[in-house]
Amino acid sequence: MKQFKFLSRSVDETKIIGFNLGKLLRSGNVVCLYGEMGAGKTTFVKGIAQAMDIPEEDVASASFTIVVEYNIDVPLYHIDLYRIDRDADIDEIGIWDYIYGEGITVIEWAERLNKIPDDFIRVKFDIIDEYTRDITIEGMDEKSWNYM
Amino acid sequence: MLILGIDTSCDDTAASVVEDGTRIISNIVSSQTDIHKKYGGIVPELASRRHIEMIWPIVDEALKTAGAKLEDLSAIAVCHGPGLIGSLLVGCSFAKALCFSKNMPLIAVNHLEGHVFSCFLEEPRPNFPFLSLIASGGHTSLYRVDGFRRYKELGRTRDDAAGEAYDKVAKLLGLSYPGGPVIDKLAEQGNPKAIDFSRPYLPESLDFSFSGLKTAVLHYLRAEVQKSKSAEVVEIKTSELPDYCTSALVKDIAASFQACIVDVLVRKTEWAIRKEGVRSVTLSGGVSANSELRKRIKEMGEERSVEVFMPSIQLCTDNAAMIAAAGYHYFLSGNFAGMDLNPKAYLPL
Repeated sequence: MKQFKFLSRSVDETKIIGFNLGKLLRSGNVVCLYGEMGAGKTTFVKGIAQAMDIPEEDVASASFTIVVEYNIDVPLYHIDLYRIDRDADIDEIGIWDYIYGEGITVIEWAERLNKIPDDFIRVKFDIIDEYTRDITIEGMDEKSWNYM
Repeated sequence: MLILGIDTSCDDTAASVVEDGTRIISNIVSSQTDIHKKYGGIVPELASRRHIEMIWPIVDEALKTAGAKLEDLSAIAVCHGPGLIGSLLVGCSFAKALCFSKNMPLIAVNHLEGHVFSCFLEEPRPNFPFLSLIASGGHTSLYRVDGFRRYKELGRTRDDAAGEAYDKVAKLLGLSYPGGPVIDKLAEQGNPKAIDFSRPYLPESLDFSFSGLKTAVLHYLRAEVQKSKSAEVVEIKTSELPDYCTSALVKDIAASFQACIVDVLVRKTEWAIRKEGVRSVTLSGGVSANSELRKRIKEMGEERSVEVFMPSIQLCTDNAAMIAAAGYHYFLSGNFAGMDLNPKAYLPL
């Protein structure tokens, strides 16, 4: 599986990497984000949202409501599974309706999903030090890579 | 005039009977923290299933305590968002069915609007205009309130809510859920100046940002653990409270973290007062139960000769009396909801 690695040295760089990925996303895409608390997942979602013309300050943590919908031309579904730890609950909150819907779905704490289809884009965040993160993206087709 | 309020927006099932929007006749809240503790957070499915089990008993209890029958009610006010969608659905469906069967008016109230109106349930009551700081697990916002349905959002969190920061930092420290009360208690024993976490003031706006603070705590903790070459420092059991057999490090982190959150909340409220020129401030949301925040905001009020209104703890946290209080104003203005009312997870005030 082809991987794409980025080194982010700041919150702003993480946002820019998210923005660049966001520019490539289209209806039906699902992006799974992996990484511990404070790794930069929500920051990355802010970047993706900005690429879709959603002001980044409108994107806050989704931990409380689990799902936040941004209803624009191609809707953005911001899902955060932080508070969920049982498979049954994941099915019950209806995230598959979002995933197989018309919009773009971004899932934080995707570790909570036990199985994901191959065509999902996976983004892994590794904390190097307080400001630096390794960001690994996989699951995108070759053509898209050239744009990034 | 009696209004029944219902709130199922998060982990509590709540029902309350309020007279004329100001006098609480009954106020019942089924705290679910016992179930949620096991999972280190609110488990949504569990919460909505639990709401289904609890809603009748809680509403019954609210009516019984009030000595009222359904026929005595003028309307039912229900919270339709923001919150967990599955949980909101339980309250809304219940209220709709009851209103339909009894041919009673239905009123839809925004949860945040409820928090704004919680300060009218106790003496003394503020006069318009006032500033409203709402800080909870899901929200951290500042509003200018000029009257019923005349709210201006001055600022809100751009990432984590203040209560969410408490919960997440508590988890990092190995403490129990919810994080607010535990950290508040530990902070009393720690040194708030031990660690100088940088204050996210965002001087150009009245917005909040607490996400970086959580990351700063994480990295401070990591560095300390590495220094001592042992993970022991974070392995503490809060079930042993109030024996306080927790390490000094955790107490200092708790105190320094809390000082940072409270500094930001108080300072930004102060900025908003200056900017808006209002003379009254109200506090609500679960974080307003925090002892340090209450103390500091009171001191700030005295310094600036601004009146501060802090509802008692049970009205700061989620409750349905505040929904009935706001519902009263909807009733007076003839603003009713239809049977097609749908709850919304995301619902700005």
